[in-house]
Order: sequence, then structure tokens, then C-alpha cells
Amino acid sequence: MFYRDKLSFEEEDFKLKVGFLHFSSCSGCQVAFLDMFEEAVEILDTVELVYSNMLTKRRDIPRMDVAFVEGALCVEDPHHINLLRELGKKAKMVVAVGGCAAFGGVRRLSCGNQLPQPQHQTFVPITEVDFLKTKVKYAIPGCPPNPSLLYSFLLALLEVNEDFLLPFELMTSSTKASGFDIISEVVNKGFCVGCGTCSTACPTRAISFNRECGKPAFNANLCVHCGSCLAACPQSFKPYPQPVYV
Amino acid sequence: MVSLDRRFLIGNFRGAFVVEGKGKNPTESIFRLMLKHQFIDGLLTCSKTGESPKLILKSDEVELPSKNTCFGVNSLLKKAIQKYRFSRLAVYAPACTFDGLNKTQYFGIGCNWTKTAISLKVGFLCPGLLTENAFNAELADIAGKSTGVKRFYFDGGNLFYLLEDGASLKIPLSVHHHYTNSACRYCLNMAAKGTDITCVNLKEEDRVLLIVRSERGWSTLAHLQKTAPGEVLFRKAEEELLASVENFLREKILLNIADIVERVELGLPVPKWNDNKLRKFYRIWNSVDINFEEEVF
Ligand code: SF4
Ligand code: SF4
Ligand code: SF4
Ligand code: SF4
Repeated sequence: MFYRDKLSFEEEDFKLKVGFLHFSSCSGCQVAFLDMFEEAVEILDTVELVYSNMLTKRRDIPRMDVAFVEGALCVEDPHHINLLRELGKKAKMVVAVGGCAAFGGVRRLSCGNQLPQPQHQTFVPITEVDFLKTKVKYAIPGCPPNPSLLYSFLLALLEVNEDFLLPFELMTSSTKASGFDIISEVVNKGFCVGCGTCSTACPTRAISFNRECGKPAFNANLCVHCGSCLAACPQSFKPYPQPVYV
Repeated sequence: MVSLDRRFLIGNFRGAFVVEGKGKNPTESIFRLMLKHQFIDGLLTCSKTGESPKLILKSDEVELPSKNTCFGVNSLLKKAIQKYRFSRLAVYAPACTFDGLNKTQYFGIGCNWTKTAISLKVGFLCPGLLTENAFNAELADIAGKSTGVKRFYFDGGNLFYLLEDGASLKIPLSVHHHYTNSACRYCLNMAAKGTDITCVNLKEEDRVLLIVRSERGWSTLAHLQKTAPGEVLFRKAEEELLASVENFLREKILLNIADIVERVELGLPVPKWNDNKLRKFYRIWNSVDINFEEEVF
């Protein structure tokens, strides 16, 4: 088994200890994260899952090198406030996984006060919580992010591949994410080549393809603010190592 | 510094061949054979008229876009890979489609496990894409005609349209430039560098120039010749033909560079923009004055 349930770690254990923490969200990101491990045979020797509310039985949160976090902070939930404090104490680095944790995601659409938790009203993406600002190093877009993205991210983290990691670092300071980005940042600036990548990246079909003008069309009613479209667009930032075309 | 030499314009390649398809479109024949002999399990491209992206599953359904319009190809990626589980997909599209595909492959963003699902990337020499409305307006402007366009091809370093009324029309680049999609006016990779093979449509419908770039492209074609000998005939391309392609690219890229410079003068973001939020990205990949070659992607 790649995860463990022990309370203490031996000194000679050099594995990267990762945990997955759940705030207000649908748990889809955690499922994608766990899905990734099916393919992640190469990294099982170097990574150890020390905490996951789905997979590990322990209730206390152990110390960990990297905490992957899904969901937004519900200010009215004392459990969340505790979890946040624990996160600040136990994790060396925090990665906001998915739209909810990174940009508010589907939580942006929540008006709160609903059963079964009528007292829950306020949902803040963890990238916006000042208390954690120094720890939240990366934000990963998606609803949920693809397991292959999480896998590549984890590999990049292990290899300290800064080229790969940089866009995710910069996304921590992005407080808005929606299909409007594609329109305002790419289409309206004259850079849309009509490749359709944004449309395939959208989990909710908020972006369709307008054949008449050869460009994406955005339906704001369907957007869950996950940030995938702009991140996938080849005409948006291109921080990944460029193949040298010679 | 940009030097508009062959290395920049066409890019590196292993070999260039004129391929004859015995009365049929050779590129279509190649894809047909690849599907038939299971080198690939699907082909992602656009419909013949280019109006919609298309996923081709059977060899007898192979048809490639013949006009310079081919939008939205990647919008079918998720369907092909995640829904239908294709694992040896070939893609035929213009260079910028591969930019999106490559980004998806590198990051794993957009579509799951794209990295391992793509077998072959075939780009076409792209004079810039037009929408149906733009085709109509361009034809009215150049020839005062309202007939449709059947196919585009290159001859002697010039762009031609074969029209539905059977006539061939030479398209002046300076006019064509203004009818293409905006982004095509800033494109520096019309030769589809970074793909496995670049196709250049020639005057005769059953001839095509194939610029074979990667080891993958090379071995795929070699394997195909062994599996189906004589179905398509390969002949080394003459220098004159390559020089004419190079001339076309030089002429178009000069127009594109002038437009990029104009944007700089107007204080508009150049491809790609330098929005504050993304200034850091911009610095990384768009150091225009450092090396175009690495940044065209
Ligand atoms: S980002 Fe999407 S998948 Fe992930 S927790 Fe939020 S709603 Fe669920
Ligand atoms: S348009 Fe789609 S991909 Fe873009 S932010 Fe909205 S839900 Fe995400
Ligand atoms: S992903 Fe492609 S179609 Fe979508 S905005 Fe970017 S360039 Fe245009
Ligand atoms: S000219 Fe360039 S940007 Fe335009 S469609 Fe062709 S390859 Fe894409």
C-alpha cells in the first residue's frame, strides 16, 4: 500500500510526505488525486500519502511536506477553522487543488444557508486566506484537474521542474477565473487561432465552438470558474519549455 | 535577431518528398492505409469543407479539409481520448492546433492522458485560415466572384484557390493577409514546425510535398511503404520546389512581422500579451528580441 496510518515517522524515512485535505467541496478533486496513483508507479517509491480523509483512518493530522487541499474555507464551520490552523502548523507547503480551492470555483455560485447546513454561508478559496499566504505555493486549475495533470505536477514537484511549476505558482494570485478570461485575454486581443483547446478543457461545456466565426463561444451560466480554459489555451501564457523549432 | 532563412521559415527536417497518389489525394491515401493497417486507431481533423471538426474511425471515411479553413479540431480531443478511448490517434491540422495539443500533452491540462494517446502529428503548410464569410468577401474583393472555394494549393511560391466553377485563382498575399483570422496575421509558424510531418498541397490533386521532420514521421512512412508497397510513390523533392515554399513563407512572414511591429507601436499587447497578471509568463516565452525561433510555439 502506498499510504500509511502510523503516527510517527522514522528519521531515515526520506519519502516526500503528502496529504490531502478536504474543505468545502464535492471531493471530486480528491478522487482525481487518488485516481492518479493508479498510474503513478514510478513515484510510489518516493512519495507517501500520510493523510487523506477518504483513504487513511487517522483523525489527527500528521506533519507533512506537501498538503494538497481541495475546497473553499467555510468561515462558519468550526471544523474548517481548526483544519486551517492545523494546516498552518503541519504542512510545509500547500497546493490548492481545483477551482474551489484555487479561485472559488463552483463555490462562487453558492448562496449558502441551505440544508443540511443552513449556517454555512461564506466560502473563501484558500489562496485568499492571508493566514496561509506564505504556505500556498501553487494553485492547480480544473474541476477537477485531470489525474494526468496532477501526476505531471507531482513529478515536477519531485524534480523541482521550475518551468513546469511556474504557471501554477502564478495562479495562486489569480482571484478570478472564468470563461470570460478566454474572451477578454485571447479572443478580444486578436490571438485566438480557433484551435478549440479551451472548449475541450471546459468541464461543463460552458465553452462551445462557434463555427461561423471560428472562435469559442462562452455561456456564463454554465461556468464553474475552474480556470481550465485559459490555462489550456495555447495563446495564453506559454511558460512550459518550448520545443525549439529549427 | 530573426533571420528569414530556410531553417527559420521551413524548420529542420529529415527529408522532403513529392508523393504521388495515383489519381487520389496522397495524404488521404496515407491516412487510409494507416487506419487500414492499424498504425492509428483514429484521425482527428476537420470535415472536407472545413466547417466542423471531425473524428474519422474507418479507412473508407478518410477525407481531409481541402480549403484553408480548419477550426476547432481540439474541441474533440476529450471525446476522442476520454470517451472513445483512442490510444493511437493521428491529427491533421494547422500548426496552432498542435500548439494546443502540445500544451495539453505537456501539462496534462485540458484532456486526460493526451500525452500517450497521440501517435502522429501531421500539419499542413498554412496560408492563414478563413471563415466562410471571409472566403466570400476575399473572392469578391480579388475576382468579383461569388463562387465557392474548392481547394487551396501552392504553385511557384504563390497561393492559389481552385474555385467551384473550375477556375484557378492566384491569391495576392497582401490582400489575403487582411481576410485571414486575426491571429494568423501574427503567426510565425505557418510551416507547422514541431509536427512529425508537414504537408504542402500542390497544384495537382494527386501530388503533395511531404516535409518529414521527426524520427516518428520518418519511421511511420518507412513502415507504411513496407506494409503497402507501391500504394503511394515517394520521390525526393527538388530544390526548386522547396525554394518556392520558402519564398511563399518569407513573403507572408514579412507581412506578419510588420503587423506585430504595428501592435508594438500602438501599445497593444504583442503575441502574447504582457498583461500585468501574466507579466512573468510573458517574459519567459515572448522575448521577441531574443529568439523568435524558440518563441513561435
Ligand atoms: S474543483 Fe470541482 S471537482 Fe474539485 S472539489 Fe471543487 S467542485 Fe469538486
Ligand atoms: S468556462 Fe469552463 S473551463 Fe473556463 S473557467 Fe468556466 S467552467 Fe472552467
Ligand atoms: S484555446 Fe484555441 S480556440 Fe480557445 S481561445 Fe485559445 S486559441 Fe482560441
Ligand atoms: S496561419 Fe498560423 S495561426 Fe493561422 S491557422 Fe495557420 S498555423 Fe494557425
